[in-house]
Amino acid sequence: MPRLSLWKDGKHTNDYKFFDRRISEMFTISGTGILIHKYLGPLSQTGTDNVTLPENTTQSELNIQDLLFLENRDRKYEENVYKMRGIYQVTDNAFDLTQFGLFLQTGTLFVVFHINDMIQTLGRKIMNGDVLELQHLIDYETLDSSLPAALKRFFVVTDCTRAAEGYSPTWWPHLWRCKINPLVDSQEYKDILTKITVSEDDITPIKEILSNYARYIDINDAIVEQAETDWPESGYDTSGIFVRSKDSTTPNYTINAYLAGEGLAPNGLPATSGTSFPANPVEGEYCLRLDYLPNRLFRYDGKRWTKIEDSVRTNITNGASTNLTQRNSFINNTRTYTNVRGNVEKEKQNLNDVLKIKPDVQ
Amino acid sequence: MSSYFYSGQVRRFLQQFIRLFSNFEVELGKNREGIRTLLRVPIYYGDGSKQVASILTRNSENNLPTVPAMSVYIASLKYDRSRIQEPQHVSKMQIRERAYDPETGMYTEYQGDLLTIERLMPVPYIMTLKLDIWTSNTDQKLQLFEQIGPLFNPSLEIQSTDSYVDWTSLSIVELTDYIFTSRTVPIGTEDPIDVATYTFDIPIWLSAPAKVKKMGVIQSIIASVYDSQGTIDHEQDTFDISASILATKRIYTPIDLNVFYLGNTLKLYVGNNQVTFEDGEPPAMQQGNWRVAIQSFGELASVPSGVNLLVNGISRVYLKNEDFTVVGTVSYHPTDDSLLLFNALFDTLPVNTLQPVNGIIDPLNTTVTNLMASPLTGTRFLILNPIGDLLNDDGNPATIDGPLLWNRTGQPELIANANDIIEYDGTKWVVAFDSAATTTVQYITNLTTNIQYKWKNQEWTKSVEGRYGVGAWSFVP
Repeated sequence: MPRLSLWKDGKHTNDYKFFDRRISEMFTISGTGILIHKYLGPLSQTGTDNVTLPENTTQSELNIQDLLFLENRDRKYEENVYKMRGIYQVTDNAFDLTQFGLFLQTGTLFVVFHINDMIQTLGRKIMNGDVLELQHLIDYETLDSSLPAALKRFFVVTDCTRAAEGYSPTWWPHLWRCKINPLVDSQEYKDILTKITVSEDDITPIKEILSNYARYIDINDAIVEQAETDWPESGYDTSGIFVRSKDSTTPNYTINAYLAGEGLAPNGLPATSGTSFPANPVEGEYCLRLDYLPNRLFRYDGKRWTKIEDSVRTNITNGASTNLTQRNSFINNTRTYTNVRGNVEKEKQNLNDVLKIKPDVQ
Repeated sequence: MSSYFYSGQVRRFLQQFIRLFSNFEVELGKNREGIRTLLRVPIYYGDGSKQVASILTRNSENNLPTVPAMSVYIASLKYDRSRIQEPQHVSKMQIRERAYDPETGMYTEYQGDLLTIERLMPVPYIMTLKLDIWTSNTDQKLQLFEQIGPLFNPSLEIQSTDSYVDWTSLSIVELTDYIFTSRTVPIGTEDPIDVATYTFDIPIWLSAPAKVKKMGVIQSIIASVYDSQGTIDHEQDTFDISASILATKRIYTPIDLNVFYLGNTLKLYVGNNQVTFEDGEPPAMQQGNWRVAIQSFGELASVPSGVNLLVNGISRVYLKNEDFTVVGTVSYHPTDDSLLLFNALFDTLPVNTLQPVNGIIDPLNTTVTNLMASPLTGTRFLILNPIGDLLNDDGNPATIDGPLLWNRTGQPELIANANDIIEYDGTKWVVAFDSAATTTVQYITNLTTNIQYKWKNQEWTKSVEGRYGVGAWSFVP
């Protein structure tokens, strides 16, 4: 009689298969339904001339988007969703209040999957970056009853190893243990969050109901609106201050304050504007010259046009169209010029690209 | 009595700080359609309450936090001993507000309140803010770093308000530190979120409320209607102003304006600071505009009644010289804004000390009238040149040595000096006012023109007409 041995020189024996079927059956019986968004690799980023940023025209999980920073930022996910069963230990969670809102303090879960079922379903093992949807954690009762759908619960896989408890007496592993963390609304998962709609009838991307991005943008906008009310433009507002006329017509000065020039006539008096002075001015008349940068307000004193002030106040909100700060003139510069070959070029160029040879326009 | 005040000074700086870091974007890579997109990065306060945080997650564990994101919070607020200045110092500034039209909600082109604002020395603090930037990858972080970095070299100006009188509103945001990542390398088994942290110092000032008082001392002198004992000034009482009105009246004395009183008008001139009354024609001065000048003292509004409507209760003008004060009601001239119609109150005019004269004549060059040739008893003339000469008078009344018009046969010769007043006493002309012998101030009216003249300093001048310089005339609204 041969000596009893469950290990057969690296072969998957019938003992192994017996154990494996029983374990798979256990997942069918007691596992919870998990939908898997399979990671396919980074989205192709064509048009770069940087060898550390390969174009990756062939889709593969093996591709790396950024060879310098070693990260895949724009990930592509399978449009089909794979259904599997997984088992994990439900734990109590507590929210951690951070500077970025509430985070689940114990949000990390460890889910185990049956390896062979996983291979059969997915075609590979679950890997870092795969996104899981735990169906039983869907939230039908949120605080916002106006939401068009219940909130699904997504996790992203951050670690995968064989589970210690998944080894059978044959010494072969049967379970795949995945460390999963709650998903965040980030660039990496945009492909999922913007492709899945809340329902068949409602094409609203689930990002809009799952993410608090829109709420934070609204909050941000409200703060900026109030800030612009308190301080609409750089410098000081002297428009409410009366400037006394020292002669018989109109004031020939304005309030002398730091960055107070707005190009407006004192006391709200009328002023013309243009790129030249009026033909037949009368004494005391104001004119804002738009061909001066900054625009300059003049007053006619009967003999000549004298400078009153420069319009130097400007909105300082980043990116605002009325922002005329020096920095804004460099950053938000949409101006162009025509070079000697007749090509229209953008004024705004990165310093490292300025003198690079450029192809002629066909 | 309440000691409470709060104006949200730190709050306003925080709002501006958040504004400073608003609207930054990161570029996302190409999507399935090959399109790159820009994603705006929200910024919000990082030390909110847990209750609001749960509301933002809709009270659900399934909510997805958004990344990239920025949050700001106060790391410290410390008193800045190095910027201390005289703590008891009170700064005063005078402001003329433009009048506000409540119907349009806009400022008008006229003057509103005259205010004096007193500001107590504010207290210096250094506010340290932390700006945390959560990114999901290094590329995002560097995109934001490259956009934010050039802003601070090393600081950026910031204001909490654009109020002209708020001397605490201007400050700077100075970058003092930057921590590239909150994670340690190697990362290990955990996968914490990656946070970059900027540290900024903002020197701010905490200010107590200002005192705002309605005054107008810069361009005008306001005289109280009460004397030092708290009783009504009797000088003004004589101007037929009731005590009840006096209690609410102020007198404004413009500083850089002159008026020239002539006839029934007051002409406005600009720019001469002479403070005394001056007879005669005005010098070469620039004409002023009464409407502009009066706007400097209050809002425009019609007086409720009266033939001559005037602005905003500007009911009287005082004309002062060293001997008297003339008060008159004023109204706009219908066609000339450099003029005010001036109706002098009779009781305020100087009282004649001499009988009126029928005319003023130059005996060397005058047209003989019946009043001169056949005068009635009491006929009086003020003469501008002498009549007769003692050297030519032989002392014999039977012969007339002087001008026949002024002498009668058998009567003594008329010997009168320039500026004398001669009077016909029924039989002859006599000197009624000896200018050489009179040194006291005298007033007299010319019946031909109804102009009153004053004898002073050995010369005749118009008693009230003339130029009133700064300090010599006032408004009584």
